[in-house]
Amino acid sequence: MPGHRTKGFCASAAALALCAVLAGCGGSGESAGGGKVVLRYTWWGNPDRAERTEQAVALFEKQHPDVDVTTSFSGYDVYKQKLATQAAGGDAPDVMQLDYRQIDQYASGGVLLDLAKQKAVLRTSEIDQGLLATGRVDDVQYAIPQGRGTETVAYDVGTWKKSGVPLPGKSWTWSQWADTMRALAKKTGKPGATDPGQSEDAFEVWLRGQGKALYTKDGGLGFTADDLTRWWTFTDKLRREGAVSPAEQTTQLDGSVENTPLGRGTSVTDANWDAPASGFLALVKGGVALAPMPSGEDGTPGQYFKPSMFVGVSANTAHPKEAAQLVDFLVNDRQAAKILGASRGIPVNEQVRDEIGPQLKDFDKTIADFQASLEGKLKDPPQAPPAGDNALQSTFQRDYDQVSYARMSPREAAENYITEAKAELRS
Amino acid sequence: MTTTAIPTETKRVTATAPKRRPKREREGAAWVFLSPWVLGAIVLTLLPMAVSLYLSFTDYDLFNPPKWVGLRNYVQMFTEDPRYWRSVVTTVTYVVIAVPLQLALALVVALALKGMKRGKAFYRSAFYAPSLLGASMSIALVWRAVFNDGGTVDNLLGTGGWVNKPGWSLLAVALLTVWQFGAPMVIFLAGLQQIPAELYEAAAVDGAGKWRQFVSVTVPMLSPVLFFNLVLQTIQAFQVFTPAFAVSAGKGGPADSTLVYTMYLYDRGFVASHMGYASAMAWVLLLVIGVVTAVLFRTSRSWVFYASEGDR
Repeated sequence: MPGHRTKGFCASAAALALCAVLAGCGGSGESAGGGKVVLRYTWWGNPDRAERTEQAVALFEKQHPDVDVTTSFSGYDVYKQKLATQAAGGDAPDVMQLDYRQIDQYASGGVLLDLAKQKAVLRTSEIDQGLLATGRVDDVQYAIPQGRGTETVAYDVGTWKKSGVPLPGKSWTWSQWADTMRALAKKTGKPGATDPGQSEDAFEVWLRGQGKALYTKDGGLGFTADDLTRWWTFTDKLRREGAVSPAEQTTQLDGSVENTPLGRGTSVTDANWDAPASGFLALVKGGVALAPMPSGEDGTPGQYFKPSMFVGVSANTAHPKEAAQLVDFLVNDRQAAKILGASRGIPVNEQVRDEIGPQLKDFDKTIADFQASLEGKLKDPPQAPPAGDNALQSTFQRDYDQVSYARMSPREAAENYITEAKAELRS
Repeated sequence: MTTTAIPTETKRVTATAPKRRPKREREGAAWVFLSPWVLGAIVLTLLPMAVSLYLSFTDYDLFNPPKWVGLRNYVQMFTEDPRYWRSVVTTVTYVVIAVPLQLALALVVALALKGMKRGKAFYRSAFYAPSLLGASMSIALVWRAVFNDGGTVDNLLGTGGWVNKPGWSLLAVALLTVWQFGAPMVIFLAGLQQIPAELYEAAAVDGAGKWRQFVSVTVPMLSPVLFFNLVLQTIQAFQVFTPAFAVSAGKGGPADSTLVYTMYLYDRGFVASHMGYASAMAWVLLLVIGVVTAVLFRTSRSWVFYASEGDR
């Protein structure tokens, strides 16, 4: 168990210095020896994002010689679990990256600092007001959005071109998408896409394409077992035909691009958020391009612009001012924006966006152009998901596993999910 | 007992039994030296256990204060949660596969090593090494790679990757445990060397063959050691976590096929944020392990033979 290691560590520490007993073993963000303020900053992401973040943090440390920032990152699944544990122990990092799905739970649990109190060092005037509001819970600004993202179909350009199947245009419906995946599978001999059945995000896009939503305004389920049965019947059929990835590959997904079929070279496309799609560049030799997510049969778009991620400060931090300075730097600093590019989505600071936008290069530009092509076409984003949704993401994937391993019919699995989701949202 | 400790006496300590110091003095020193561990036991073991017992009667999501719900977690566990029972079945299956296989392998290798004249030390270390490495996450990850599709086993046997097939994944996890048979093997080896050679000679004189010697001399003489290993490995097997966690990439998949008890406990606690429920699960596990151990001890009366009993 993960607990064991800590216990062992504490026991030896106790033997040496009784540290465990006297100091409670492991404080958070205390000043280190040299009188420097030490901030802990954690995020999830891919190696590309890590490299740029390290560079940006180094610049921050140069600007603030009295502050030392220790950083750590991991894949999303692992990050989510670790942060929850740390937060529960009152040991959340001083500055932490947060997902839309975490804001509600973390804010109501008293983990996050009210950032309005740090106005002196943290400017929010240049941030898109609509986006800024997504970081508020009960009118308190608990987190600042860091970027704007949207879902995309990332694809292996080289393999697709070689297959002879026409490249994706500016829009397609789910049935056109399905036909294209079948054609790709036939021509290339490998599945066209990752099985989207496991992804709650893809399901949401499909659902919105029909004018529905994952959740109702009061935080209940916005769809029925019939809806989910139809979705899973659709993906189940595609999997059986070999148009999307088989169960053995789908089950290995863990939120990192490395473990997607596209990243492993066993499929031609993958539905993902646009910012992390940069991670495919290092893995896919043929180059990576972005296509929009499929829309409903009548052309209703399902995808939307979402605050791609947030940054928040721990309510327990010993250095709220310095932590807020780091947040300000990450969101508003022009040089930081240049380094970070679109690795966390397109910048939310409008001045920075206008200024940096034209200078974006490589994949950052691809993402910016992709978002520009969708501008004005998409519907409003849904409100932040209710707290229970955090656990439901993995429930969704797990229940679909039962379908893809042919252990349950789509109907059985869908009813299973609805039962579990209702229990989760009630508590 | 009037003598006080003098240097010459302390030097002789190893050679003969030391003269006893006054009880209180000995105890005082003992407590001073023990204090870090005693404090550690209280602060890091007893206190968390008490808290966990309390939490098992609450609804606690890690963020908001625990809410007292009485026995609801326990009731839900036994009556409303099919995944809970799936995890119980998976764990029992795992124990039934892994423990006998591991002990059998340990015994076979120990027997082979016992009779070996050359290279004993080498083989002993070689077979023990996995036990030293095995607890580490890295080995479990290697295991995952070996049994993954495109991995070594897949290439050799064309299995398509055991860890991705619900029917095979639990076996891959169990094999990782079986492979770490070094610890019971070393204990078996020590036990085998305790068996007096006269017994074998006497048996041989009476015309007993190798197999007969094994059944009539080795097994009964070894039964206390066998029992010790059985209890220890069974307790450990019930708590299996690392191999299942690593091999299934932390999810107990595919399709819940490696969702052992502690994995589900972890899932409830750290993924779904139901700490109260997870605590309740932990206490049920403690009770079950207690009962299983008690049953093993009860049955041991009929098959474990202590040589000293005969001497009496």
